[in-house]
Amino acid sequence: MSNFIALPKGVTEEDFTKAIKEYRALLGEDRVRTDPASLQSYMKIMIPESSELHKPSAAMYPRTVKEIQAIVAIANKYKTPLWTVSTGKNMGYGSAAPATPGQIVLDLKTMKKIIHVDEELGYCLVEPGVTYYDLQQYFKKHKMNLWVDVPAPSSMASPVGNTMDRGVGYSPYGEHFLFSCGMELVLANGDVIRTGTGGVQNSTSWQSYKWGYGPYVDGIFTQSNYGILTKLGVWLMKGPPLGGYFPFLMKFPKVEMLADIIKTFMPLRLAQIIPNACVVVNAGWEAAGHFTYDKNGKGINRETFYKGKGSLPPKVFQEIMDKYSVGAWNFYAALYGSPEQVALNWKYVSGAFKAKFGKNVEIITEKEAKDDPIFEYRRQLMMGGSTLQEFGLYNWRGGGGSMWFAPVAAARPSECDKQMRLATEILNKYGFDYVSEFIVGWRDMHHIIDLLYDRTQPDEMAKAYKCFDELLKVFTKNGWGTYRTNTAFMEKVSHSYGPEMRKIHYTLKRALDPNNILAPGKSGINLDIPL
Amino acid sequence: MMNTSRRAFFKTFLSAGAALAVSGTVGQTRQADASTQGQIKGVCLFVPTLGKATDFVDLMNKNARGDWTVHPLTGSLTDNYFTTRSLYEDAKGTANTFVGVVDPATFAIVHEAIVDCSGCFHYITYEDRNRVTFSVQL
Repeated sequence: MSNFIALPKGVTEEDFTKAIKEYRALLGEDRVRTDPASLQSYMKIMIPESSELHKPSAAMYPRTVKEIQAIVAIANKYKTPLWTVSTGKNMGYGSAAPATPGQIVLDLKTMKKIIHVDEELGYCLVEPGVTYYDLQQYFKKHKMNLWVDVPAPSSMASPVGNTMDRGVGYSPYGEHFLFSCGMELVLANGDVIRTGTGGVQNSTSWQSYKWGYGPYVDGIFTQSNYGILTKLGVWLMKGPPLGGYFPFLMKFPKVEMLADIIKTFMPLRLAQIIPNACVVVNAGWEAAGHFTYDKNGKGINRETFYKGKGSLPPKVFQEIMDKYSVGAWNFYAALYGSPEQVALNWKYVSGAFKAKFGKNVEIITEKEAKDDPIFEYRRQLMMGGSTLQEFGLYNWRGGGGSMWFAPVAAARPSECDKQMRLATEILNKYGFDYVSEFIVGWRDMHHIIDLLYDRTQPDEMAKAYKCFDELLKVFTKNGWGTYRTNTAFMEKVSHSYGPEMRKIHYTLKRALDPNNILAPGKSGINLDIPL
Repeated sequence: MMNTSRRAFFKTFLSAGAALAVSGTVGQTRQADASTQGQIKGVCLFVPTLGKATDFVDLMNKNARGDWTVHPLTGSLTDNYFTTRSLYEDAKGTANTFVGVVDPATFAIVHEAIVDCSGCFHYITYEDRNRVTFSVQL
């Protein structure tokens, strides 16, 4: 009978006991947990696999860089792998659970310092446990007119975690890695490095100049397991003056209009008239946001409209769209600048859409939206506010299962249309609905599809896995890469990028972490698994 | 009037008012740090439209007499995150039982709120696809 709920692969109970003893000598009993109750929260996953496959052996809570250096020394000595999380809110991508069982979760939520906020140049330097909400509160407290771009779980997620997973947001600074500047990392050998100009003694530009000198290395530490990030520089947007933020929604009645919608807004996006990471949201996603209860306490969700086993028939979709007054596509974007600029740009934007769609577009601004909670959620996201409204998606189908399938499309109308049709066909085949949004990048679309399913039903779990697998295969075959994935599919997605790329990932891993102690399995990089 | 599934939940949940069966999610069985009957000082979170506060109090007192406080999670999901954090922190010093019955979206928020306050769960159970019950260590 083991004293632990899991052991790292290849590590004996005796060695693991010794390792834990050393970790506890370093951090104290309270900050090294092996009891089941403490580890349970790391096993709350939403992906269609047994949580046994992602069961950690322990969790540790360091507070300083020096402690992390000492931790990696012990990890190398006993070969105990460390799965690092910042706040662990990667829901739908594996949450805080390790990719493989037996890893020790290195939980950095206890490192919560906002080290510096520079109002003059608009940047900050933060530790991994700092949340977007913490930053917003800091700005408020210090009366700083700064915006930090947020992902959807903004109140509780961290800039470090989201940027390291190359997440995106919704303001003009939506591409988070692009708007990061300067990292501090602990490597597997215990070295501490600072990227960009951070290595220059007394550097004054660590958070203002990204590239440093020589090969630029920041990218290899994102979506990877080559180092433990302990500080990150993030660029912040200056809030526009009063009247200089203009969010809007355009609703379109037909699914077939997607290509024309993209054709209309992409020139405006490329010209920076629409400067933000705007979104095109489908009816399923939009309707899910309207989850409400009736007077008898019964939740109104997809079950209210359809009790069949399969995906929602188009007729029912139409019924839902009519009831909630949502479009087949719902385009949320915003204009930023001086009030005069915004007014002028709005003429271009509204004019372009009216010219193209005439009566087939319904335009909603703040004035028309009033207190609509869904508009408010999007308004908050596009200005770096705090909202957790997106979690309403989990009530739509129920059962606690969710996986983001996240392919990238070049922002071409026909390509996005083809992706939408193929994804719908595959999801429907397995009895799931197409629930999606396209987040518009600089020249790409992050096509974010929430595969919602019931984790309490084993047959739905199995179908969800198969469905995701087929989506991945079909999309790869069409030349579409996946930008980010969950821990159940990291290995498969890694293979979709070809053997040469895997080879270089492994070469870097062997050079930087020969004992494979940092997050084995992250993005399919695991020296225990052959190329 | 409570519906059958809700009554069944509390029957299971508080049947003896003692040792709670644990660990719906991780498959480990162990004795929870539960209160014994008569000593309960409990906090119950609920989504208001799943039942009325008085129903929850009545039923809990019927099954496990104690000093129960019920808190409806009203407002937005964002509000619920911060409310739960605050209630859990308050309960740490004043209560010995912290439970809830919520919908899946609210549960996703409540779970993170409690974890972010260093809380641990006795158990988490999906009663059905639209209803989650849980108990948290204090």
